[in-house]
Amino acid sequence: MNGLIESALDLIFLAFTSMVPLLLGATGEIITEKSGVVNIGIEGIFLLSALTSTIVDYFTGGNILASIAIGVLTGTLIGLLHGLISTYLRGDQIVAGVGVNVFAYGMAVIALVTIWGTFGNSPTVPKIPKIKVGEYVVSPIFILSILIAVGAWYFLYRTGLGLRLRSCGEDPRAAEAMGVKVLRVRLLATVLGASLAGLDGAYLAIDWVGQFTKEISAGRGFIALANVAFSNWNPLTASAGAFIFGFFDALAIHLSIVSLQPALAYLFKIIPYVGTLAVVSVFFKRTRIPSALGKPYIKE
Amino acid sequence: MIKSLIRGWRFSEYLTVAIEVSGSIAAGVGIAALMLYLLGFDPGRGMALLLGGGLTDPDYLLSRATFIMMTGLAFSIPLLAGLFNIGGEGQMYLGGLVSLLTAIYTGNLLLALLAGGIAGFALGLLIASLRVCRGVNEVITAIMLNWTLYYITIYLITNTFYDPLAPHESIKVPPQARFGIMMLGGFKLHVIFPIALILIGLSYYILYHTRLGFEIRASGLSPKAAKYAGLNPKKAMLYSMGLGGFFAGLGGAFNVLGFTYYIDTLLTTMFGMGFDGIGVALMGRNHPIGIVFSSIFFSMLILGGQSMQMELNAPKEVADALSGIIIIALALPQAYRMVISYIRTKRMIG
Repeated sequence: MNGLIESALDLIFLAFTSMVPLLLGATGEIITEKSGVVNIGIEGIFLLSALTSTIVDYFTGGNILASIAIGVLTGTLIGLLHGLISTYLRGDQIVAGVGVNVFAYGMAVIALVTIWGTFGNSPTVPKIPKIKVGEYVVSPIFILSILIAVGAWYFLYRTGLGLRLRSCGEDPRAAEAMGVKVLRVRLLATVLGASLAGLDGAYLAIDWVGQFTKEISAGRGFIALANVAFSNWNPLTASAGAFIFGFFDALAIHLSIVSLQPALAYLFKIIPYVGTLAVVSVFFKRTRIPSALGKPYIKE
Repeated sequence: MIKSLIRGWRFSEYLTVAIEVSGSIAAGVGIAALMLYLLGFDPGRGMALLLGGGLTDPDYLLSRATFIMMTGLAFSIPLLAGLFNIGGEGQMYLGGLVSLLTAIYTGNLLLALLAGGIAGFALGLLIASLRVCRGVNEVITAIMLNWTLYYITIYLITNTFYDPLAPHESIKVPPQARFGIMMLGGFKLHVIFPIALILIGLSYYILYHTRLGFEIRASGLSPKAAKYAGLNPKKAMLYSMGLGGFFAGLGGAFNVLGFTYYIDTLLTTMFGMGFDGIGVALMGRNHPIGIVFSSIFFSMLILGGQSMQMELNAPKEVADALSGIIIIALALPQAYRMVISYIRTKRMIG
């Protein structure tokens, strides 16, 4: 019985580690999408931010704060580009996001080759110090990500500013008539969302993995996107969604260690995907997408 | 946009698209050359290899284009109906796997090809029906299924269907169930490429000359208006996703039955091609004929990147960065138009 509780606790703390990227990415994307802009380039932002924060961590010999800051800044800059394309330049948001993802992959490998002369991964770098909780440790970024999710929920659904932001995603024309600068709000929301994705990238590299690999984001950006739809654009529900996926993920890792059969490991790896899909299809209530999502707003 | 719904594309529309695409390519090429220069490589030679290196082996170029042509269709057809099919990757794995197994057990080429297509169709239909019946966003389902099928395929190949003589490969497709190679005026060519061109023609016909195609495109433009007009947007969603899955499945089948004749344990011959299809579809402006050109261009870049890496030791991923920039630039047709109209007004005032 004690062993069971212990492994359950193990799993929960493992889930706390693997849920962070899905939560931060989703929270950022919710803010962006609520303003009416869709950014499917967060996978690429994860990758590039992970890269830049590893570089700074490596060359400063473990200046954690600077590394995180540069990761966030990388997200901010890509968000600025995507935001400008999506607002003032009236571009196609999906196309731009796909482009960012493709570009990021290429750029990541080019940088690996140029800086470290390898095609796969960087040397290991110092990690963010963990916080002790009894016998377990959690990352300070985990706690931060929960706080950010709660803060984002409060901001979006309980403040006047949040209401204005949401109005840009629902009915930009009415918002403009009420004196909201739609394009500016959308640009800022995109920058903010992308900065959170940047924090996420830094977390992946210098907190979870401790080095940069070209597969470091491993589709997590897209799973975070899935989490946005799952959560019905609510950061609090997104925390639950991220935990469910993280828990199944932890379970898969746990089972493949326990079973000792390497071939089965491939089958266990499908647990988080099938599990999440099952949860989503059984318990899903119909979601309501922001009405003006993805449509360029053209001022008259 | 509404006019093109009824009668397909006009010449002037093709021309506009051609200008936009070549402008974007020029922007991408310029930035990539600059990047090579900054990395300390000869940009002229690098770009020549990147853009021309793929042309040294036209057969390989076109075969590779075949696969992403199919996944390009897989993304583009659902997008016309307003659905985002990010699941081309999984649909391709499943199509490849099912066609491999059918070929091994029946030895019948046509049956194996159809089985691959139908498996993809079923997967597409599953994604769309979860959206239509349960309201589950297609992006969620597709992503979860991509990874599920990735690991299931690897599991089956490593565990059950491996080749005892080459354990990191599956059992080979029996010779009578393979697509062959034909000779075309001294050039050899895998037959799958001309077959894929026929399929492109078929998809063009379905999209622009049938009621179903009209229903798909009309529902994508405005589901509400389509409904008022007596069309059925739900049906359009189901069929477009099914069709998309069908083509991705065929892409996997072509890969296995027509080129590699096996699946390796890391899926290296298929991995990423579903996602490449997204870029191909967007660069081809979501039009079957555009997709033919963009798939060849894309595979030219990928092969060119490889020859650049071999000759200059420059990372082949410059090709990825280049296509990324091209795609980002392609997102901006409106911006080109804004610049043009800005210049025009300037002229009128000045």
